[in-house]
Amino acid sequence: MTQATTQTETKAEGFEPRIVAFVCNWCTYAGADLAGTSRLQYAPHVRIVKLPCTGRIDPLFILKAYEGGADAVLVSGCHPGDCHYTSGNYHARRRWTIFRRLLSLAGVEEGRLFFSWVSAAEGQKFADLINDVTAQVKAAGPFKHNPARRQAW
Amino acid sequence: MKTLEATKLADLAAALTAAGYRVIAPCQRGDQVHLECYQAGKTLRADVIPVNSAKDALFPRSEVIGRYRFEGNEFETVPVAPQAGKTVLLAVRPCDAAALAPLDAVFNWDYKDEFYNAHRDATTVVALACTAADDQCFCTSVGGSPDSTANADAVLRPADGGKRFILESLTDKGQAIAAAGQAVLTEGQAQADPPAQVAPAFDSAAVTAWAKDGFDSPLWKELSLACMGCGACAYTCPTCHCFDIQDEATRREGVRLRNWDACGFGLFTKHAGGHNPRHDQASRWRQRVMHKFAYFPERFEMLACTGCGRCGRLCGNGMSIREVCSQIEQAAQAGVK
Amino acid sequence: MVANINEIQSAAAALLNEGKVKLVLGYRVRGNDRVPAFVTQADQVGCLAYDSACTQNLAAYLRKGEVRSRMPLAVVARPEVMRSLMLLTAESQIAEGQVTVLAVDEQGFHGVLDLAGTAKLLNEQYARIAPDSSLMEQLAKIEAMTPQERSAFWSEQFEPCTRCYACRAACPGCFCERCIVEMNTPQWISTAAESHGNFAWHMIRAFHQAGRCVECGACQDACPQGIPLMLLNHFIAREVEREFDARNGYDPQAEPVIGSWKQDDKQEYIR
Repeated sequence: MTQATTQTETKAEGFEPRIVAFVCNWCTYAGADLAGTSRLQYAPHVRIVKLPCTGRIDPLFILKAYEGGADAVLVSGCHPGDCHYTSGNYHARRRWTIFRRLLSLAGVEEGRLFFSWVSAAEGQKFADLINDVTAQVKAAGPFKHNPARRQAW
Repeated sequence: MKTLEATKLADLAAALTAAGYRVIAPCQRGDQVHLECYQAGKTLRADVIPVNSAKDALFPRSEVIGRYRFEGNEFETVPVAPQAGKTVLLAVRPCDAAALAPLDAVFNWDYKDEFYNAHRDATTVVALACTAADDQCFCTSVGGSPDSTANADAVLRPADGGKRFILESLTDKGQAIAAAGQAVLTEGQAQADPPAQVAPAFDSAAVTAWAKDGFDSPLWKELSLACMGCGACAYTCPTCHCFDIQDEATRREGVRLRNWDACGFGLFTKHAGGHNPRHDQASRWRQRVMHKFAYFPERFEMLACTGCGRCGRLCGNGMSIREVCSQIEQAAQAGVK
Repeated sequence: MVANINEIQSAAAALLNEGKVKLVLGYRVRGNDRVPAFVTQADQVGCLAYDSACTQNLAAYLRKGEVRSRMPLAVVARPEVMRSLMLLTAESQIAEGQVTVLAVDEQGFHGVLDLAGTAKLLNEQYARIAPDSSLMEQLAKIEAMTPQERSAFWSEQFEPCTRCYACRAACPGCFCERCIVEMNTPQWISTAAESHGNFAWHMIRAFHQAGRCVECGACQDACPQGIPLMLLNHFIAREVEREFDARNGYDPQAEPVIGSWKQDDKQEYIR
């Protein structure tokens, strides 16, 4: 990861952002799958990490992604009321509300952390979301002042 | 004799920096004083005992001691040399300088520690004799003194009522400091101020004697009741030297690190299987006291405590070696096992 | 020293004499310091002291086995410590009958209370404890910075952290038997006292206080390195109150803020 990061920084000209997405198994991952089987084209900059539920996404995962040099993080799951486990997304939402404010205070600006609800039927929404997030991060450039970044030993 | 105006300590630090030294000196940081690398603009404070000890410069809190790379199924180690630049510990207290003896001993005992020794060899110690002590100081109870020159290459003695310092060089390394700082030093006469009065707090021999048979004493439970198990005392202690080895790696490369660790933590002795031989804070505090006053003297014929008083000064829960040792001495006198 | 210190001492002596408690957790004077006192005999109560310099949160001892084994016990508690006791009750760490409160504030001693009585006193007398105004000013300054400046500000603040975890030890809310920073298979938070490990530690420590921190200040007081932890704690408490209308440590039956939910929780930032 460290080597890849160095590459993106030296190529700031044609900057290709690295975005980590934490998604739930039942909705957003299925939505991404639908985007694929529907042959929708979308930006290739997102690395998807699939988890059983957004309720399983510990805020540490988000920090870990930044630590490894992610330019942005996306977290996505089932719409409210649709959680496969009834309330995992409601629990997650409370955590995100506070954690994103804390990260903002610590120097992670808005355009580095995204949240969304994407259902299994929303292949198009997933593709549009990824394209939009990628465009925003491309415009913002490499995350140079990333406070969580693993130090160069 | 060589003297330095009290207001020119920062100028000396600047001169030594210009001469290529990394200058570790007591710098103002917020409302505290930390021993840290001097940079232009920092205010030096010789009047306060810094929060951290001088060991940080010789035994950093985290240090890379190894590197490795992966390439497919190939694995290769990359040699790492200690990053030890020429360093001066400027205006450190005699209790910090005294701590170099136990550190030298333990890092050269069964194994010569390449990293510690590289830092040690590159370091010059300019001690600052104490003319004032606070109610936590107890160097005189553990064989030190406020104007001791043990392990120092040079010593700054406050003189003429604190207006200036007398710089005495004791070794070749100390001579080099005097030479490098020549521009800010003056040749003249000054009257050294009397050293601080540090009243004895306890008899360390009595503590060592009691500890010999004190391993199973129920007293440890009472003595350690207030301890909440953080590492603040160990991390600011000039002699504590325990560490943990950790690897931090990505898919392609990694480093092996030596990080500070402390016997006060529950995790310190916890086995992989879940058993913890030091299962409560009493056994961890016993280890802390025994290490300093029983095991260390047995192995190296010296105490692993220099009486700096940092543990008592910073612990909000009041766990200080000074107070605990006084209680042990009283227990010993009262015949409590 | 508060004027009616004798009343604290005699209340403590009475509790011990009557066998209602086995231990009184209080403060004593040691030179210029105030340090915890563990009083088990009525004839030792003379050492008990209280004034505004008694800043440790003694409720932190309620997680320590050697102290828990001496329950029922009494704690000398200022309003913030009482709030910690409410939090510990809500989180099932203590129960009525285990802890008696010797209620104090800067004016003096306010009587011997059970946990229910403490809840009543807190909500009647100390429903609003104003945060330090300089804290709010500093926070406003940080929030006015650019993200780059904020990042640089915190990296400077966290730089001296040696990871001694004195902040964790001083906090009554940090009662986990195994802290997240001790999760080492794999090591989630780097234990190296370097930038990324320090950042992750301080972020997660602050986040784990969401809906829980009572802003007693014990962590910041305990930090040997002078790291301004209360800036993070106060920020989190403020956000929790804004977003979820919750104030920590007032309701001994409260559901945890993080760990419960409402269908209509705000979500304007989620696309």
